[in-house]
Amino acid sequence: MLQKKVCMLGSFSVGKSSLVRRFVESIFDEQYHTTIGVKVDKKVVNAGGEDLTLVLWDIYGEDVFQKMRMSYLRGMHGYLLVVDGTRRQTLDDALALHDRVAAEIGKVPAVLALNKFDLTDQWEVEPAREAELTAAGWTVAHTSAKTGDAVEKAFQHLAQAMLAQ
Amino acid sequence: MSANSIFESFLAGQGYALFEYLGDGDFRALGGWPDWCANIWGALPDRDQPIGLAGKSAFLENFLVDAEEFWRAHLPGSANSGNWIERDTNGREIPLEATARSLDGKRILLLQNLSESFGQQQQWFQTARNSLLEHEKLLKEIQKKEILLHCIVHDLTQPLSAMNGVFNLLERENLPGALRKYVKAGERESQRQELMIRGILEAFSSDLAAQQSRETSAPEAPDLLVCAKQAIEEFSPAFRERQIGLSLGAHAGGSRGWRVVGESSRIDRIFGNLLENAMRYAPKGSSVTIGLENHEAFVLAYVDDEGPGLPPEQRPDQLFALFSKGKTHAGKAGLGLYFCKITVERWGGAIGAETRKGVGSRFWFRLPRAVQTAQNVATAATRDKSVDNEKSHKLRKAEHSLRILVAEDAELNRDLILELLKKRGHVAIGVADGRRALAALDEHDFDVVLLDEEMPRMTGLQTTAAIRRREVTTGKHQIIIGISGHATTDDEHRFREAGMDAALAKPVEVKTLYKAVESAAQSLYSPAVLSQPQHAAQPAAAAAPAAAPSVAANTPADSSAKSSAESEDALTHLRRTTGGNEKLIRSLAATFLVDAPKALARIRSAVTKKNAAELASAAHLLKGSLAIFGAPKAVAAARNLEALGRANNLREATASLRTLESEFALLQHELRAIHSAAKPKSPVPRKSRPTTKRSRRKKR
Repeated sequence: MLQKKVCMLGSFSVGKSSLVRRFVESIFDEQYHTTIGVKVDKKVVNAGGEDLTLVLWDIYGEDVFQKMRMSYLRGMHGYLLVVDGTRRQTLDDALALHDRVAAEIGKVPAVLALNKFDLTDQWEVEPAREAELTAAGWTVAHTSAKTGDAVEKAFQHLAQAMLAQ
Repeated sequence: MSANSIFESFLAGQGYALFEYLGDGDFRALGGWPDWCANIWGALPDRDQPIGLAGKSAFLENFLVDAEEFWRAHLPGSANSGNWIERDTNGREIPLEATARSLDGKRILLLQNLSESFGQQQQWFQTARNSLLEHEKLLKEIQKKEILLHCIVHDLTQPLSAMNGVFNLLERENLPGALRKYVKAGERESQRQELMIRGILEAFSSDLAAQQSRETSAPEAPDLLVCAKQAIEEFSPAFRERQIGLSLGAHAGGSRGWRVVGESSRIDRIFGNLLENAMRYAPKGSSVTIGLENHEAFVLAYVDDEGPGLPPEQRPDQLFALFSKGKTHAGKAGLGLYFCKITVERWGGAIGAETRKGVGSRFWFRLPRAVQTAQNVATAATRDKSVDNEKSHKLRKAEHSLRILVAEDAELNRDLILELLKKRGHVAIGVADGRRALAALDEHDFDVVLLDEEMPRMTGLQTTAAIRRREVTTGKHQIIIGISGHATTDDEHRFREAGMDAALAKPVEVKTLYKAVESAAQSLYSPAVLSQPQHAAQPAAAAAPAAAPSVAANTPADSSAKSSAESEDALTHLRRTTGGNEKLIRSLAATFLVDAPKALARIRSAVTKKNAAELASAAHLLKGSLAIFGAPKAVAAARNLEALGRANNLREATASLRTLESEFALLQHELRAIHSAAKPKSPVPRKSRPTTKRSRRKKR
């Protein structure tokens, strides 16, 4: 079966691991457990009638303590750039990370997941900013690892984009 | 047992697994196959058989590329994989780390089970990251409280202003000596408290409120060179203490002067923020320079430092976003630069930052040049005279007694205004709403009409519209001063759009009331004006009250022109409003074409997501931009959407959005033509000009 390496990228505490858990195991834990290494999971999806194994690399979030190793992205077919929609700064950080990735790896399919969409009262990403991102060619998904909203859709979209490559 | 064998057994016992790399992803176990390896990857079939470790772990397979490179290069030391997690057959997560080394020509891979130390490491990271999150939350809380404080302080000043007015009235009565003393004391304390509150407002949320004030015309407009020199004087001691030089650099080409649109205390604060920022990043022994450049329509000011420059990943515009902080977090809560941005943009300017070629960064802002016309000078002279006479406002009757109509639904406010006006020697009549104001205008002639913005049955804006409609047949221009609860720049625009001549902040203060009314009515007694129909003077500009600086600058001449603006195309409108400045027109068109679609996208998104607050905010923003180009239908549609958003009533929003979109498209079409034309004498050549709805209307 065809395998595609997908990396989860973004700042710390944006919900990368939670999205993977929701997607792979349909589980969500309210408690924040920081990731300090890399965890690899797999899930088979059907994209455009074709079964595909997504090899999900859940990579620790960048912060002042840890920088991401670009070598982890070797052979990556696509990535989910995860942002905490209730922390505007994580969007800026994610886009900066994206620029670094693009410079290092080149252009690969990516989906921008504005996560924690269930916390609408704390939402900080303005629609205008989102419109800018969409205009810049980003596929934006409003995900919630807590409710599961748009999680499957985000990975599905990425799978299709990778197949189309 | 050889020493090597003992060592290999020891490693295995301590949770290490040692392998020799054979090539092609295969390894040979050197010291055994620990249980944890067996739990993850299954039992070792035969010690002498190669183990295809790379095939068992995607992470290891990836690391092997780095390891092979390391072995091939014969580098000293080791190559490390970093931590990763494997799941064993019981579903437990096992943290591992791989290290590649070369020993005696052998390619060695050491796998380490980190289970014992990992918990502690995880806890450390967890605590540190939780602290970062708490810190972020705290900053947001501080911001919320600052905004709340601003609102509270703003509300506190309102009754105090009213109290001051009442004390003012009492002072004019024939009070017995002791009572007069008490009234004086009361007035003094009330004014003191008002000053204190305004001080707090200034300190905590100065720019949010003070955006409203700006001078647009020389010679009253602030002088950037003076502000820059003051900033240098103020900051020099702090810079000296840090052993950083601070000086005024280039400011050539100043023959046209350095006066700009703005307000000097705000500009001082902008310089202050930029200098504080430079001071944080400039290294000891380096220099910070303020420079000025004269451009055609703008004056540019910049602060250059010799610090590290902007981080490569930093988008300059992010620096000016709310809560944005430098990567070193050397600043405070990320508000300073944000306030600079909103202040400068409100004045029609721009702000930015960039890394300088060579060393350091440049933070700059530019502001529109203040308008210097004979009319401005005359207006300023009138204003100066008015200021000179400020004290006399209190002491003597007005030179001319005016007939004034006051429409205000709040009884106390109405009575207060009427009383103040009567004390001044004017004849004043009060009514409680707009309809009664129209009825009173049918009965009597008034020199000035004061209209409260929000009144039952008919608002101040609706009343103004009705009065202006009547003027089409009468040819007379009624002086109207709007009274607003906020007197912000937005109010100013709204009032201007509605055809009012000036604005006053509520609660009304005695000095500003007299100044506004009498300055506005000055045109009635000016010989120059009497010779012109429709009072084509500048009552509004002269009416600028100190406490309500956002007085609408809409002259009656503008208003009459405005009535014809309904049928104007964008270019004609722009030529009229910019005095035919083609470069400025193209620049305005270009800015609109870039920025306005984003505002429209925000509106669309807000309607789709039923986000009323966002709709109101985005529609308000777009409305202001559209008004620059005339576009009355588009402005009306945006205004309607803003009102729907504010009323949290989105049922009719889709229909209004459609109107807005179609009007927007027409305007966009016109502006594209303006923008693309090299010398746009008309938006597009006559023959190829598209027949827009507006031009079709015009033909009919």
